[in-house]
Amino acid sequence: MVSVDTLPRTRRGVRGARWREARIALLFVLPCLLLFLAFRFGPAVAGSVLAFTDYTIGADTNWVGMENLRRLSEDPLFWRALRTTLTIAVLAVPLSILSSLGMALLVRRAFRGSKLFRSIFFLPVITSLVLAGIVFTWIFSESGPWSSVMGWFGLPDQSWLSDTTLVIPAIVVVAVWSRFGFGMLILLARLQDIPRELEEAALADGAGAWHRFRYIILPELYPALFFLGIIETTFTFQIFDTVYVMTGGGPANSSYVLVYQLYDQAFRYFDFGYASAIGLALFVMTFIVAMIQRMTLGRER
Amino acid sequence: MTSAALSTLMLASACGGDDGDDTNTGSAEPGEVSGSVTMWTYPVIADETEHRTFWDDTVEAFGEEYPNVDVTVEIFPWADRDQALSTAIAGNSAPDVVYLIPDQLPGYARNLEPLDDYLSDEAKADYVPNALEAATIDGQLMGAPILASAVTLSCNKAVFDDVGQSEYPETWDDLREMAPTFKDAGYYMFAYSGHVDQTLNLTFYPLLWQAGGDVFNEDGTEVTFNSEAGVEALTFLQEMVEGGYVPEDLLTGNPPIEQTKLAQGKVACQWHSEGKHLTDFWGEENIVVLPPLTNTEQVAYGTVGSLSMLASAEDKDAAGAWISFVTDAERAAEYDEASGFLPVKESTGSLYEGDPLLGEAEKYVDLTTVGPLHQSAREVMGVLAPEIQAVLIGEKEPQQALDDAAAAAQSVLR
Repeated sequence: MVSVDTLPRTRRGVRGARWREARIALLFVLPCLLLFLAFRFGPAVAGSVLAFTDYTIGADTNWVGMENLRRLSEDPLFWRALRTTLTIAVLAVPLSILSSLGMALLVRRAFRGSKLFRSIFFLPVITSLVLAGIVFTWIFSESGPWSSVMGWFGLPDQSWLSDTTLVIPAIVVVAVWSRFGFGMLILLARLQDIPRELEEAALADGAGAWHRFRYIILPELYPALFFLGIIETTFTFQIFDTVYVMTGGGPANSSYVLVYQLYDQAFRYFDFGYASAIGLALFVMTFIVAMIQRMTLGRER
Repeated sequence: MTSAALSTLMLASACGGDDGDDTNTGSAEPGEVSGSVTMWTYPVIADETEHRTFWDDTVEAFGEEYPNVDVTVEIFPWADRDQALSTAIAGNSAPDVVYLIPDQLPGYARNLEPLDDYLSDEAKADYVPNALEAATIDGQLMGAPILASAVTLSCNKAVFDDVGQSEYPETWDDLREMAPTFKDAGYYMFAYSGHVDQTLNLTFYPLLWQAGGDVFNEDGTEVTFNSEAGVEALTFLQEMVEGGYVPEDLLTGNPPIEQTKLAQGKVACQWHSEGKHLTDFWGEENIVVLPPLTNTEQVAYGTVGSLSMLASAEDKDAAGAWISFVTDAERAAEYDEASGFLPVKESTGSLYEGDPLLGEAEKYVDLTTVGPLHQSAREVMGVLAPEIQAVLIGEKEPQQALDDAAAAAQSVLR
């Protein structure tokens, strides 16, 4: 017979066991956590503090308060870089997610060679962006294949990289190319989790391919899509390598992005305080976008 | 603020070294100097093994004279060298000695130890005035020059032969007149390297100087590139680009050189790199090194490479002794010859007499300038280069672009 006071004791026992488990788990993640604090969180905080100083190499550092942020707000180049970065993000993020989704659906079912395709599609992700940038510079060059293909369709066949408008889509193409494999992998993992019975039941009920996708697969994918949305936005906001290699921010600053400005200020002009202010602005922006995505996409879930 | 760098440069005097003078090693006995010295340099001699051997031999020779000093020479790639150096300085892991060019000096001046007290008076007096001036900031010698270059006009003889042109251009007007003939024969008159990573010292500034203009005013408080001379220079460039006399591939981009019209032998002349760099593409026999172009002035860019000591160096006497040893006229001449650069000491005389490439370049050293030694020189290039691009791709007119760049530059002048 169960005595009156055994119940709470058992509960306490459960709680104790949970706490023990939590402690062990914490012990396991501790090395990672420490590394994260030391090499990610620490520098991020330090960088934010730098944004309020005039830090540069070899000189005394002074607290300048909001001066860097005021300068930023009056810097036409910053606003231009911000606009360019946002344009690239608005084009690249949806395109990248759509291509990821398309590719994931294509290689979802096991068929002869499906593993090979999955690997091939993932290759761009692990390819150095600098190398890819050099190859794409040639592809988009005046005498490169892209210009020739454009010429066949009667479209402008000059180098996209030397046109102030077309340079953006060119960079977006490379950004999407380099990222869709990652998204594909994430979505593929989620797709494998969807019980086959669900789809089979729908099939038996006479649901077409589109309906099965719209009402069964897509809802299951929302969390993964939300995750991708944030990751891809963050990634695109930080785009630098491809721009650095392919255009140097040109022509005439038309592909000059925020991280490029940050790089210029820090490593070409040694104005680390101002560079940190740009970094801070970038962080705030990424944070706001993530919050908006969370409120919209997250709610649908 | 140090915006008066340019004016004080003129007042350069040897009375630098403002700290207590107990560190003057010009007279210290080699045996008494001890410590370790780390030097960073870059592929000045392109062949790595050859370069390595040169330094190994030099370190060994130095060790015989200074047995208590331990020298390490590290050779890094040219690319991103400022990033590496500034990060090292910020992280207190900077070398003791580093190879710098005048363009870099103002940015690092705060971190450098003036060398006035570490070089003997004879060594200083032996420098050609140009070289000494190029390494002097606010009256202090911030680097010991070791080599120089003269980036004048070079033209492709094969192209001139094919067009049937036996005279080479000397002035802007010559270029204007010859251009249509070259275009008709399927060639471009000259290449202009307009990518933002390319220093304007090699591209637009020579035109600006040739038109009689300059980047900054005398005391460095204002930019002056939007003067009449600046507009004339940019208009000349615009006119040549719009006429189809300049290849488009280099106007805003920076493709690998072998993919350019320049390397493919489709371009008659260029002034943004030394002739010797084109031997692999044009063939040595086709490179004609010519005097700097003339409009109202005859002038070209030339660099001066020097060795600087970081203020953070622990064994300053040892580092000073090493710099003094390496930049000694004879040893520097050896280095210059091995690397294909020009000498900076009067006593060296001519190193390349009779050499069709370097012998020619050597003649024009007096007509070169190292470009503005202003603390904001690079930031000014950063705002000016994209505006020049805007003109070259037909988005802006020269006056407008230069005025816009000047307005932006004015706000970064410190």
